Amino acid sequence: METSYETIIIGGGVVGSSIAYHLSERNKGGILVLDKKFPLSGTSGSTQAWVWVHNKTPSWYAEFSMYSAELYPYLSKKIGDVEYKRTGGLSPFFNEADREKALLLAKTYESIGIKIKVLTREEALEKEPSLNPEVAGATYSSIDGNVNPFRLVDRYMRAAKKNGVQYSTYNKVTEIQKLPGKFMVVSQKGTFQCKNLVLAGGTWSRELGKMVDITIPINQLRGQILVTEPLKPFLNYTISGLRQAFNGEVLIGYSMEKEGFNRATTLEVMQETANLAVHYVPSLRKAKVVRAFSGIRAMPEDGFPILGRIPGVENLFVAATHSGVTLSPLIGTLMTELILDGDTSIPIDRYSITRFNNMETK
Amino acid sequence: MDKSTIICRCEEISLEEIEKVISNGARTFDDIKRLTRCGMGPCQSKICNCLVAAAINEKTGTPFHEIPLPRMRMPISPIKLDTLATNSTTFSSVKSVLDEVELEDGKVR
Amino acid sequence: MKAVETDVLIIGAGPAGLAAAFETASRGLDVTVIDESLSLGGQLIQQTQNLSSLPSDLSPMRGFELAAHLIKQIEEYDIRYLLGHRVIGFYQDGTIGITDEVDVFPVKTKKMIVATGAAENAVAFPKWTLPGVLTIGAAQTLINRDFVKPGNDAVIVGSSDFAMDVALQLSEVGVQVKGIVEKSTGVLSRNTEKVKQVNKIGIPIYVDSSIVEARGMGAVEEIVIKQEDRVFTEKADLVCIDGGRSPILDIFYQLGTSFGFQKELGGWVPQYNKDFQTDCKDVFLAGNAAGVSTQGALVLTGRLAGMNVCEALGAVSKETAAVEKKGLWKELEIVETKYNLDIWHARNRHVDNFTHPVLKDQFIS
Repeated sequence: METSYETIIIGGGVVGSSIAYHLSERNKGGILVLDKKFPLSGTSGSTQAWVWVHNKTPSWYAEFSMYSAELYPYLSKKIGDVEYKRTGGLSPFFNEADREKALLLAKTYESIGIKIKVLTREEALEKEPSLNPEVAGATYSSIDGNVNPFRLVDRYMRAAKKNGVQYSTYNKVTEIQKLPGKFMVVSQKGTFQCKNLVLAGGTWSRELGKMVDITIPINQLRGQILVTEPLKPFLNYTISGLRQAFNGEVLIGYSMEKEGFNRATTLEVMQETANLAVHYVPSLRKAKVVRAFSGIRAMPEDGFPILGRIPGVENLFVAATHSGVTLSPLIGTLMTELILDGDTSIPIDRYSITRFNNMETK
Repeated sequence: MDKSTIICRCEEISLEEIEKVISNGARTFDDIKRLTRCGMGPCQSKICNCLVAAAINEKTGTPFHEIPLPRMRMPISPIKLDTLATNSTTFSSVKSVLDEVELEDGKVR
Repeated sequence: MKAVETDVLIIGAGPAGLAAAFETASRGLDVTVIDESLSLGGQLIQQTQNLSSLPSDLSPMRGFELAAHLIKQIEEYDIRYLLGHRVIGFYQDGTIGITDEVDVFPVKTKKMIVATGAAENAVAFPKWTLPGVLTIGAAQTLINRDFVKPGNDAVIVGSSDFAMDVALQLSEVGVQVKGIVEKSTGVLSRNTEKVKQVNKIGIPIYVDSSIVEARGMGAVEEIVIKQEDRVFTEKADLVCIDGGRSPILDIFYQLGTSFGFQKELGGWVPQYNKDFQTDCKDVFLAGNAAGVSTQGALVLTGRLAGMNVCEALGAVSKETAAVEKKGLWKELEIVETKYNLDIWHARNRHVDNFTHPVLKDQFIS
């Protein structure tokens, strides 16, 4: 294995691997991905993997998510079948107060070209007959869907490797030194140098930032998900809170807990989640849960992606975000443009780390 | 052993598929599981666990005590959603998506 | 609400759980025993073989007789039995969630003894997933508990003590045992008496041998065996796999105990100290979950765990406990050394490693 690279990406999850793949489309070779464990062992491998636009707020963030969702069909053509399915997304609501909220949401989105429809009870039940008949209505967006996250990251990796990208896994980075014109990246398995360095450490971004004296304000937010036995296909849409996978399993969950890096599951949340499931889709009552898992979301302090250059350190980049699955095609594309061309086709200034004023730890 | 031998009977994953991802760098049961679905079926790796450990050991020479256990999860054995549910309608840490839509001056932020 | 509060929750009503129930209930503690099965005794119920190496206070007897003895011993105490109940998981504060298949409800306990036993390991070969291929334990359950003859012509893969027991029991119910296939160069069973019996009734034991494949349409019909350079086929509608056993760890894993590896004890074993206490201080363990061993040792570890829980809850004095524990460990040494010295050594190594677990903090990423 060489020790010198044009670009090193730290983190081989959905974000890091997408950047590696997109970079390799243009520059074959000279790219190394370092992962402290193995891709999919963190957040990217423990997600419901909705490709989700609707009810993202504010509207400029929804717009950004939409552009990424639009890239999925093309991406699957390029890297192979990732079981992407644009099912359309439904968010049921059960009271009139939520209908008001939904109508406001639809109105705001109209101006940026995202169509959100507010369905009546009858319309919602016609689209998704399995919904609880007590539903008051639902918001609906045709652009939403879901993907198989395991296949997604695997296909990114395979396509990247085919283009000459090297992966060094089970290889934790322990130190980063900035030298004139290059970085020295010290890892458990050796020291590498590179011109460009991309920090794509997901939930561990804060720790990576410390190595270059930068605060990357990413926190951890745990989510617990239930998985049922495979059921025959019966859900037509990606419903906020649950979806049915290709093999028939239903994944259920919409919990948020601040538990640091603790990936345990708890019966409290599992029972609440089970409640949500039978409340939304009563026919799930008879389905058996075979597993509960939890994933730690990488949650930026203000909820929005942190993308772009790190000012003051030449050729140092960061890509850290929540909703990595939805955003990975776009982030990979834009980070590649930024690294190779110095500019991006869609502005990402809004996502700059400079928006946080306590950036330096020194 | 014949490469076509099924290792995970729930998901019908063969030794060949498992050896392939090991040669791509997978080192633990969970790495292999995410890339092949081995161990994701109804038995939740209870049957294939030792067979996969043997495959890792065989292919990489990693001693058994360095091959970690698959991550085990609740429920300890499968349970009906109806039985698990509490019938309470107040969710504290589980939300609905519209809860996340923030309003400001009567408008969506 | 069916919520339960108790001093001691014993998970698993096999030999270890029942022995622990006696130790704790007889000293006045409030004891709750939970088991998935509707009856007490665990795997002992279908064990018709004579048990060697029992503790000195027990005369030689068969497995189901030992179950009856252990059950009788606790008859007079007011123990809460949650039979037909399963542990589903744990709440954040450690409260146990169990189900009766109608609801999930909480059990709060001061101390817990986990005696969930061991599971049989698989042995894979081409077409091992055909119906007719099962574990030796499953075959034994069919014969002795369900009174079902599981096939006409059987081949057994593996040659432990247990495999010899099942070979004999299959023969007794009229199953033709065509052979025992062992991949090692010698028979694994240490019970020469049983091996002699197997030889006597004419069951061939093929050592240094392996299964090439099973064959059959929809069910196993024949099995191809390789012994050195010789490959031959046996007609069989039953293949019984003996892949050894490993402790069942799910509950320990959820509780967050750490683990160590001891091949002789069945692989990964929850880490515990001389008091059969895990590194979650209220969680004790006993039986095969603490390392796969012989029935006598399972009973003794159950007594030890029970005694330690009694001490921790003040139901016996420190002095009494010290004397009792010393006696029980001595007895465990006698029983286990006689059964298999390697297991006794592995158990001691495991206990010595208590503060240096190989696997811990399994949920911290």
